[in-house]
Amino acid sequence: MAPGADKTGLRFLPSGATLHKLSALLTLVLLIGIFAFTSPAFLSVNNGLTVLLQTSVIALLAIGMTMVIITGGIDLSVGSVLALSGVVAGLLIKAGLPVYPAMMAGVIAGGLCGFANGLIITKMRITPFVATLGMMLIARGLALQLTGAAPISRLGDAFGQLGNGALFRVVEMQANGFPKVIFPGIPYPAILLLIMALVGAYLLNKRQVGRHIFSVGSNEEAAHLSGVNVHRTKIWAYTASGALAGLAGMVLMSRLSTVQPNEGVMYELDAIAASVIGGASLMGGVGSISGSMIGAFIIGVLRNGLNMAGTSAFIQQIIIGIVVIVAVYIDQVRNKT
Amino acid sequence: MLDQPHSPAPLVQLVDIHKRFGGVHAVEGVSVDLYPGEVVGVLGHNGAGKSCLMRILSGAMAATDGAIFVNGTRAEVKTPQDAKSLGIETIYQTLALANHLDAPANLFLGRELKTRFGNLDEPRMLAEATEALRQLNPNFKNLRDPVARLSGGQRQVIAIARAIYFQAKVLIMDEPTAALGPSETAMVADLIMRLKAEGIGIFLISHDMGDVFELCDRVMVMNKGSNVGTFRIEDVNKDDILSLIVKGTLPEGWQPRGARV
Repeated sequence: MAPGADKTGLRFLPSGATLHKLSALLTLVLLIGIFAFTSPAFLSVNNGLTVLLQTSVIALLAIGMTMVIITGGIDLSVGSVLALSGVVAGLLIKAGLPVYPAMMAGVIAGGLCGFANGLIITKMRITPFVATLGMMLIARGLALQLTGAAPISRLGDAFGQLGNGALFRVVEMQANGFPKVIFPGIPYPAILLLIMALVGAYLLNKRQVGRHIFSVGSNEEAAHLSGVNVHRTKIWAYTASGALAGLAGMVLMSRLSTVQPNEGVMYELDAIAASVIGGASLMGGVGSISGSMIGAFIIGVLRNGLNMAGTSAFIQQIIIGIVVIVAVYIDQVRNKT
Repeated sequence: MLDQPHSPAPLVQLVDIHKRFGGVHAVEGVSVDLYPGEVVGVLGHNGAGKSCLMRILSGAMAATDGAIFVNGTRAEVKTPQDAKSLGIETIYQTLALANHLDAPANLFLGRELKTRFGNLDEPRMLAEATEALRQLNPNFKNLRDPVARLSGGQRQVIAIARAIYFQAKVLIMDEPTAALGPSETAMVADLIMRLKAEGIGIFLISHDMGDVFELCDRVMVMNKGSNVGTFRIEDVNKDDILSLIVKGTLPEGWQPRGARV
């Protein structure tokens, strides 16, 4: 059988993972349709950009989370690492470092937290759940201790650029002296997300490290016996997750123009939900960046649409919880048949 | 062992290998060697330490004590990578396949082919895997399916192909026919004879006496972690081997049977 014919065959008769992704995409389209019907303002360019902006943080976290989940692990620390990275960047800016090097340092701080997670999990043989739970407390505690639990503000205009700026933004001065936004532009966080998602998918599907991530999650013993460096692969995945949490922290803090050491609580759960809705299996070996992006946007659209429909935050949690359970249930039923 | 017909140096020598788990001695001072083009059967009942010994040679497990010589020089076999770079390949009883990956991905796992830019070279891996698997089983299709969906025989073929594709000099086969039907078992036997003719040395762990007498040049029997005897296959019969496996000693009054003829 020619490989080309095989591929098109797969496209017409979707295999398990593709089917899941398709159904997730369908769910997303369905949600957008429902919300567009219930609230007319939902389907506007401005609201679309808002959703994009709101979702980008969770989606960035979900990229790293997906890699970790594919290795068969979990990273509960990303919400706290996000805050700690922001604090590191904020303090460095206050200490006189220019904005972008400070942000870079923030991302590196996140990466170091992830690297520590990886070392604890592989060298100390502590389960990912416990190790990252510990890191979640450590990073949050550090962030609060370093700042005295107070936000760091007045970080300058440049700090707000990443989160609030947009590419191709067209603003026209009106006769009355007020600016008029002709085209709101593509927000930088959305561009950053697109780049990171593409890089993530490339690494996962086209590079050796991605192949090893899948093999470790699929059968760790087999991967080890085949000559895969299991420890290095896991450390790589957790470091990537930590660094992406740092990056997400930069985006979030920049959008707020302040560093909030208590930001990002429970974000890890949204990231895990996004990955799982997107078809990643917590048993390892299964998952995709594209699926997780769809998952993140399902959560984002659901939040935004329910907000616009005036649903309370409490009800939103209930609904998202149900969505996660239903998504996993559908996946299990599909896998049995 | 005294009248070895082999003139070349041994491919592999295991010398006084010990393995302890806490207070348990899984392997106690075992020595064995393997010559090019030779099949040595490693026998013993479950828990006798034969898998443990083979795992030490394949780098899956570190020996507590002892030395491994490859082509006469002492070698450190600490990881599976070490073993593979020394030309020692293993077909594990569990097959050691990643279920979610397809056949080419499993075949090249840990040794992926890459393009000039360091990307995975999927077309080349698929082509090479197709060729390698076709040699073992002409009916092998659905190469792009995750191996979880393949039959036991197909999975076994992937595990075997993975070991021989990389030009092994020493092959460790841990019950390679346990999951196979009669025709596939015959295929594996043919393969062993072919590899032997190419000068590859094979350690064959098997419970099947038929296989052992058909394929092996020598047998080594383990009992409670010790090597209780290494014999040319002509010198022993089934009862001798069973006695060694069960009791750890030869029947009373045993003499090399090959000498009688």
